[in-house]
Amino acid sequence: MSAAAPDAGRAPGRSRSDEPQTLAAPAGLVSDILAITGRAIRGILREPELFIFALIIPVFFFVVQIGALGDVAEQQLGIGNYATFQLPISILFAAASTSGGNALVLDIAGGYWDKLSLTPAHRSSLVIGNLFGEMFAVLGYSLALLAFGFAIGVRFESNPVVGSVGLLALTLLFGIGFASVSIAVALATGSVRATQSTFIIFFPLLFLTPSALPRELMTGWFETAVSLNPMTYVVEAARSFLGVYDAGVVFKGFLAAALFSALTFALTALAFRRRVRMG
Amino acid sequence: MSAIQATDLVRQFGEVEAVRGVSLEVAEGEIYGFLGPNGAGKSTIVRILTTLLQPTSGSGSVLGHDVVKEPTTVRRLIGVALQEAGLDPKQTGRELLALQGKLYGLKGSVLTGQVTEVTELVGLTDAIDRRIQTYSGGMKRRLDLASALLHRPRVLFLDEPTTGLDPLSRALIWDRIRELRERFGATIFLTTQYLEEADELADRVAIIDHGRIVRQGTPAALKAEVGADVIDVAVEEREVGAARAAITELQASGELPAGELRGTQAGYTLFVPDGPENLAVLIRGLDKAGVRFGAVSVSRPTLDDVFLAATGGRMATADQDGQGEDGQDREPEPAGTGRRSS
Repeated sequence: MSAAAPDAGRAPGRSRSDEPQTLAAPAGLVSDILAITGRAIRGILREPELFIFALIIPVFFFVVQIGALGDVAEQQLGIGNYATFQLPISILFAAASTSGGNALVLDIAGGYWDKLSLTPAHRSSLVIGNLFGEMFAVLGYSLALLAFGFAIGVRFESNPVVGSVGLLALTLLFGIGFASVSIAVALATGSVRATQSTFIIFFPLLFLTPSALPRELMTGWFETAVSLNPMTYVVEAARSFLGVYDAGVVFKGFLAAALFSALTFALTALAFRRRVRMG
Repeated sequence: MSAIQATDLVRQFGEVEAVRGVSLEVAEGEIYGFLGPNGAGKSTIVRILTTLLQPTSGSGSVLGHDVVKEPTTVRRLIGVALQEAGLDPKQTGRELLALQGKLYGLKGSVLTGQVTEVTELVGLTDAIDRRIQTYSGGMKRRLDLASALLHRPRVLFLDEPTTGLDPLSRALIWDRIRELRERFGATIFLTTQYLEEADELADRVAIIDHGRIVRQGTPAALKAEVGADVIDVAVEEREVGAARAAITELQASGELPAGELRGTQAGYTLFVPDGPENLAVLIRGLDKAGVRFGAVSVSRPTLDDVFLAATGGRMATADQDGQGEDGQDREPEPAGTGRRSS
């Protein structure tokens, strides 16, 4: 049955046909992203306890690894400073364990995603803003771990400013890749549990690397697996920023991180398109 | 130009056809009540018309802009408060409104002014700088409504804005809805489960059931469609059979017109013309038959009666078993307003 409208004049409200089309105006993609990023950062700052919890495991591994292997590595394997050798792993660990999709999936499950989607903002800004917010957290983790490392004796062998900036840049690029995985799962499933479980991909990707020992000391299938894992080159580049700077190693590391992030961001884009299409 | 138009809208979710060929048209400045039980398809239609969901087939437009082809334009023109007020609990009310305003392209003093205006409009001035996680359900609904109004939309979609609210909060939302139309001339598409709400607010009402519009018109016209007055008779459980037999006998003999007879939890409801005159006939007939009965009243039909006729009473009885209208199997009473005695 069709429900036809009566004459417009019948309704008591005055018609606004000749009035401005509402106050809404295009804000632009950059403005949309800034607004969403600001909100994401506000959310992170409002839950400092989550920030601290996220640092506990990387710090724990860092300290345990140094305690278990530090003396052996330095005395038997010729690694100058094992804390310096391990710090990049802890920083990458922290970056990988962030879950950019968590905030997003809570928005989806709670209905706030719909509320934001009803605005004329570019919908991609809803994802990119969350990702940028997560990178703010990654930056915080990295700086906190760098400070902790320095406190227990980590030192840069090359220029510390260049080393720090390079390490942070690489970590952010790498972090985008991992955050994109959980964002893709959040968009594709809308499930909090599924999104949180993406953490599991961290294990093969980050432990099948020269995380404990240099690659030249590895043999057999493990060495093969480590050499095939693109994360190996990210780890080695990160170490290069703290140790002896090697442009070739750094280039390979950035390339591996960029390819990984491009792949996972493409998955995010697909999941995003699907969610927008399906509603 | 219509404020809202839908033509043969269909939406399937796998095998389930949630919306089955809905067409409707809403004029500018109109409050259009969209009434239906849970699962009838109300929210799906709102999601389609507000660009959140694409129809499987058919088309929809807002102020002449197609909801599928021009979604961004449509979003600038509409304000939406969805059934579940999805709000970020970690933000304060002011932060949420400011973010919402920025996404609508509002800046500087315009943004600040609008935040103040809508906050005052929904009566949240004292709480606006508190985090949303401290808000009550009613306050969240009002904040949601405020955020839908920030950019002065020309068309407002309110999806069950008062479901679950206490009477005071409900009355406040109703006042705001009326004010919006009066002050801004906004067109309002209001879905509700509450017959009273539709009766109070809507210029026109459509009743949707199983994905289809089954009745539409002004509340007065819909009530007139029932075409009869309503006599309610309270009867004790043990007198049910005797009462039905007596009423049926009165109808068979022509003393009472052959109107619809429906069992209720309290007794019977009889739909007949000339209610006051036939009330006397009914009382005399029941008395003569020796049927013990309680309160008897006559009233004009309400939207409850329209709804019952259109949907078989599924509105208030979605989780109960309606058991026909033979008087032996009682049909639970519908939700909504109490009957108004004449």
